[in-house]
Amino acid sequence: MENSKSVLEARSLHKQYHLGSHDVNALSGIDFIVEQGEFVAIMGPSGSGKSTLLHLIGGLDQPSEGEVILAGKRLSLLKDRQLTILRRRNVGFVFQFFNLLPTLTAEENILLPILIDGQNPRKFEERLKILLDLVGLTDRRGHRPEQLSGGEQQRVALARALITEPAILLADEPTGNLDRVTGAAIMRLLQRSYNELKQTVIVVTHDPFAATYAKRVIFLKDGCLISELHLTQDMEQAQKVAVIIDKIRQLEV
Amino acid sequence: MQLTRLLTFRSFRTRPLRVLLSAFGVALGVAAILAIGITNQTALDAVTQVFQNAAGKSNLVILAAGADREGIPENVLSRAGRIAGIRAAIPLVQIQTILTDEVPSSAIGMNMFGLDTAGLLIYGIDPSLEDQAREYKLVAGRLLEQSGEDDEIVLVDSFAQDKNIQLGNSIQIVSDSGDLNLKVVGLIAKEGAGQFNNGNFGLMPLITAQKAFYRQGKLDQIDLVVDAEASSTDKLEQLRAEVQSALGNNYSVVFPASQGRRMTQMLSNYQIGLNFLSGMALFVGVFLVYNSFSMTILERTREFGMLRMIGMTRAQIVRQVMLEAAILGILSSLFGLVLGFALAVGLSKMMGVVLALDLSQMSLSQSLILTSAGVGIVIAILAALIPAIQAGRISPLEAFRIRSSPHQGWFVRFGGYLGIVLILVSIILLIIDPFPYDVQFRLGSMVVFALFLGVTLLIAPTVGFWERILRPLARLLYGNSGRLGSSNIRRAHLRTTLTVAALMIGVSMITVVWAITGSFKGDLDEWLQGYMGGDLYITSNMPMGQDIWRRLSIAPGVFAAAPQRYFEVEWLSPVGERENITFMAIDPSSYSKVTRFTFSETLAGESEAIQALDRGDNIFISSVIAEKYGLKPGDSVVLKTRSGDHLFQIQAVVVDYYNQGLLVHGSWLDMSRYFRHEDANVFLVKVQPNLTPQQVAQSIDELYGKRDHLTIRTNQSLLESVSLLMDQAFSMFDVLAIIALIVGFFGISNTLTMNIIERTREIGMLRGMGMTRDQVVAMILSEAAVLGMIGGILGIVLGAVIARIMLVAMTNMSGYRLEFLLPVERTVLTLAVAIIVSQIAAFFPALRAARTRILEAIQYE
Repeated sequence: MENSKSVLEARSLHKQYHLGSHDVNALSGIDFIVEQGEFVAIMGPSGSGKSTLLHLIGGLDQPSEGEVILAGKRLSLLKDRQLTILRRRNVGFVFQFFNLLPTLTAEENILLPILIDGQNPRKFEERLKILLDLVGLTDRRGHRPEQLSGGEQQRVALARALITEPAILLADEPTGNLDRVTGAAIMRLLQRSYNELKQTVIVVTHDPFAATYAKRVIFLKDGCLISELHLTQDMEQAQKVAVIIDKIRQLEV
Repeated sequence: MQLTRLLTFRSFRTRPLRVLLSAFGVALGVAAILAIGITNQTALDAVTQVFQNAAGKSNLVILAAGADREGIPENVLSRAGRIAGIRAAIPLVQIQTILTDEVPSSAIGMNMFGLDTAGLLIYGIDPSLEDQAREYKLVAGRLLEQSGEDDEIVLVDSFAQDKNIQLGNSIQIVSDSGDLNLKVVGLIAKEGAGQFNNGNFGLMPLITAQKAFYRQGKLDQIDLVVDAEASSTDKLEQLRAEVQSALGNNYSVVFPASQGRRMTQMLSNYQIGLNFLSGMALFVGVFLVYNSFSMTILERTREFGMLRMIGMTRAQIVRQVMLEAAILGILSSLFGLVLGFALAVGLSKMMGVVLALDLSQMSLSQSLILTSAGVGIVIAILAALIPAIQAGRISPLEAFRIRSSPHQGWFVRFGGYLGIVLILVSIILLIIDPFPYDVQFRLGSMVVFALFLGVTLLIAPTVGFWERILRPLARLLYGNSGRLGSSNIRRAHLRTTLTVAALMIGVSMITVVWAITGSFKGDLDEWLQGYMGGDLYITSNMPMGQDIWRRLSIAPGVFAAAPQRYFEVEWLSPVGERENITFMAIDPSSYSKVTRFTFSETLAGESEAIQALDRGDNIFISSVIAEKYGLKPGDSVVLKTRSGDHLFQIQAVVVDYYNQGLLVHGSWLDMSRYFRHEDANVFLVKVQPNLTPQQVAQSIDELYGKRDHLTIRTNQSLLESVSLLMDQAFSMFDVLAIIALIVGFFGISNTLTMNIIERTREIGMLRGMGMTRDQVVAMILSEAAVLGMIGGILGIVLGAVIARIMLVAMTNMSGYRLEFLLPVERTVLTLAVAIIVSQIAAFFPALRAARTRILEAIQYE
């Protein structure tokens, strides 16, 4: 039975890849639930299956076994077109390498999902203004990606991910291509979207500092979910980092 | 609309070279169709106009069945006029002459019909009846007096202007009774009948013409205008037969249109070649657009992955790409129309030279423009269809990849099998050829298309094989860097395929053009050597009779002089149709002293064949006629003579392309007794061994040149004129081939640029490890050279096969039996060109790669 307050449920997820004559088990029986308004970080070493898990819960790939229920819909029952439209309206993505269209301005990149959905962008003026304000790019809305710094490009990507008020925002190593200061700024923005816009956020990261912005940290190793950690509001960031690093050492991840 | 603006137009702006390549492909196809369509229609209209001009308003024409100078007795005029159904009978005498002060031109006009001696053509007319047969547009002065007795003449205004003749001037023409003075009383426009003899034309009173040229009581032609009730096709044919029966076999009663049939037949052969080429240009256009869009999809893999990821459906992606193709198609078609007009001007001019017609007034129809533009849009859309579908199939996961690794998909995995099937099916169809004649041409084009596609599909699975074969060469040229460069072509099979295919098309087109022109020229050269045998070629605007033959034969320095006369004769073809062909009369004895035939087959040996010809009642047929109608030595053909149909036995088949091969050779004796002709058109002269042709030519010119109005040329200069004519005829094909090669150039340049951008980090790493800039350049040039070699080899092989197909098609359609000639030097040159083109194309991308900054490159996303 689906949890009525959950925005995402992963049930016994398995993912196997065939590489030549070998079979690689990227995920082996992952179960977890993300409730509405949660901020979750997924951590693990390289090859632990973090990105694979993100692809599956974002509807970008199909599991070999198991089920994903996103915004109340079983993804395995959806055809490609239905899945795409679900993704369009319910999932926002932020990547390590920004993935903006170089030929569009910041504003146009942000509005792209709206245009793809066939909606009138004028109806989203207010939302656009809020997001530009949130990410601090009101004065740079007319600039193209080549005219923006890495951090600014990532902020545009974040605003694009939020324009449709998605059920869930998925970020894959969003600070991986940024320096520490800029990366921290991006994580603070993610936190703001969670705090101010009540956005559900899932971040995949290998960086303990980035993970401190989440409320819950899930640890993967060799394709399995091996532990969870809850971070409370009253903890200082340094404390959180220490706790996370400690956990990582314990788990030998 | 906004999505279109954001995605489509911005995409065009950021990839100008790619867009240009696609646009060029479409424009090329559109331009070829439009230019060739305009030229064909213009030529057809001009040819139609020629025989419509000849016909004027008359429904039937009476001609003498043969016989120089004899002509038609005037009483036939009244006899014909009295036949029921005939409303009017209009007399005509045709005079070929020159102005007395005119120096015989050394420039002999040459065209696809043979020689063209300009001179002045004059119609001797009855002014009171002439307007019932032909119309003339008066531009100055007046037409001839109704009485038709005065010594006056009306000229075409362009001729008068060329010769500086004013209205009211007196001119002098050469006539049989001496120089004749005529007053210019009127000028007519070079329109309608005024276009005869390319405007070197005039009108004079019938009686004056008959008196001056000893034609009293004789006519050359009687035009008949029928009653309105008899003008339907069936009734007209019935009436024609009645008139023929009433007048007897001394005369031919024909439809005016039959005179134009020969020209349209010749035209259609040339048009077949042009249409085939427009089909090829279309295919090149389709392929270029496909190529370019495929490259674009590859380049934008990550972008499409991202769009899929944020919610663009497959259908939306496909529609997006198709929309880009449609917009490109519209814009390119417009450009193609402009290019097509420009091409049409050149092509029409060239066609005009070949046909000896003025084609400056181009025929352009709205439907042709719309069809051409429509084709452009359709080919852009169709060509982009598969790339669009491939774009739609890009997984959203591609957005996560650092470098867009192209999904090879079914194309690389299974395309080779499809390629083999296509090639096999094409070969089988070519061998079996189960389709009827009228489908053959379309089938031929489709088979060529299938061959191109089949070979293209085989490139991807065979890249490894090619690379292994060519690696030693790359290493030889560029050292270890060459080895690295060579192996790079294996990395992206699809991209390699598209690049090699683009070059392959260019090289194959060049090979086709050179193989066909080589084959044509090879055969033509051999024929011309025989046809224009001897040393001197003597013609005149005036008839050349027996006395000239006698005088030339004994002129100083002349070893032998052989007359030639060619005239139209009606034959009954083996398929039961009556058609006009050319009868070439020779005196076998003198001919053998001056030159030789090029025999394909004989009944009883070459010398026996010539002897049989000399005896009479025997002919040689051309290889074209033999091929077309399945005739051979020993068969008989029926020719219509003055005394009716007569059977001639075929003694030999000879190679002869005069009049596009539609001719027979017969003896001077047969010409005289069966067709009552006495004069020669040409004298072939062989000079004494110790003298040069130039010396003897000068001697003859001094003795007889002015007196007999002779034009004397050495065969060498004549061969050069013919060669020039052939070069002009084929030059347009060369242009198309070169355009295709330029396209291949852009294909390579584009690919290499893309490769280098993708491998920026790798190149930075190599530089960091110690690779010098020169070595980086060598690596890129090596990659390009291997691509060029593969494209070149495949292009030559495919081009040779297609040329062979075309030659066989031409043999089937027109009867030309051409020997397939792939010129070795040019083949080697073509391969060298392919490699050179690849190196030039790689030059700037290589420099760009060499200038990679190591640290920037290593950090490159």
